[in-house]
Amino acid sequence: MQSLNQLRAEQFSALTDVVFRFLMEPKEVERFLTQLSEFATMNEISLGPLKNIIKSILLIPNGALKRNLSSEQVRADFIALGLSEEKASYFAEQWKLNSPTLTRLAIGQTLMINQLIDMEWKFGVTAGSSELEKVGSIFLQLKLVVKKGSQMDHIYVELTLPQFYSFLHEMGRVKTSLECFS
Amino acid sequence: MIESHERVKMAAVTEEQFAALQILLKASSKDVVRQLCQDCFSSSTRGSSKLIDSTRSNLSVTSEEAAQLICSLHNLTRHIVYRGLSSAEEILSLFPENFHQSLKNLLTKIILENVSVWRSEAQSSQISLPRLVDMDWRVDIKTSSDSIGRMAVPTCLLQLKIQEDAALRGDNPVISAVTVELNKETLDTMLDGLGRIRDQLSAVANK
Repeated sequence: MQSLNQLRAEQFSALTDVVFRFLMEPKEVERFLTQLSEFATMNEISLGPLKNIIKSILLIPNGALKRNLSSEQVRADFIALGLSEEKASYFAEQWKLNSPTLTRLAIGQTLMINQLIDMEWKFGVTAGSSELEKVGSIFLQLKLVVKKGSQMDHIYVELTLPQFYSFLHEMGRVKTSLECFS
Repeated sequence: MIESHERVKMAAVTEEQFAALQILLKASSKDVVRQLCQDCFSSSTRGSSKLIDSTRSNLSVTSEEAAQLICSLHNLTRHIVYRGLSSAEEILSLFPENFHQSLKNLLTKIILENVSVWRSEAQSSQISLPRLVDMDWRVDIKTSSDSIGRMAVPTCLLQLKIQEDAALRGDNPVISAVTVELNKETLDTMLDGLGRIRDQLSAVANK
């Protein structure tokens, strides 16, 4: 924290931006590291210690997310850790701006087991079969793509017309039920 | 033994088979004939030794004759269902001219009584992709996770019970259950797709 206190205000805000961009897009590790090394070169700071500092800073928003901390609580945490009031307030302000998005992201990434990814469908009329010369019944076929761990599973299922309508009806009830809670 | 009388799929009933049908004249009552017609339609009983045995003792005929009769009745009923015949005239016209008159009328009457049930039976047992048997759903609220201490996010579990192939089902159909999780967005997308299907279906129906 002492080394953070030595940064000028605009340096600190640039660094905060880098941290929040990484929090928003945690998959962009490459970009994050490039930005850090650029920041180090521009401000003549050695990269190794900077990385260590950032590592500890990242712990705070992650913990704050987990415990739903308010920006006031984040500010208090930073001050308790020895960051100057001014910089702590700045970070808390940024936290206030970004935390709703971060929360939404974290919710979206919540563990899902057998997540439904995609659905394809087709329907048509069965014209005839080996048992019935003329049939004329409507069928509906669905392909569900389900994520099982890292692989995708394809599930095929055929529905008759009455089954389709009752399936649709049930899914409508699910929607109503879900909407009650969101 | 019955292999020698193996039917050619849905081919018209042969003269020889009609001749075998006259074995039914040995039946003690109309109900025996009725029951036998119903038993013979089902494809699983074709060649069943149990049916051959009961027929042999009911009609006091040889196993050979019983097998011939069962095969012929099966072919006749299947052929009528395949062709979708549904009037007495259509069915009566299948029989050869020299066929026993009252047996012909009785068979026609029995077949007419059963033809719609048989038709739906044939339809529900036709081959298909894995078909949906049942579905259940459950709505959960996620309250906590490794990344967020407190939240209230609704999510849906959907279980589809799927039967591999109805045509292959014996007494124990193989039913597998698939359970998937949907969040609200996925559910909305899915309902969107289902809604489009419904719209297209009603467009077809209104034509």
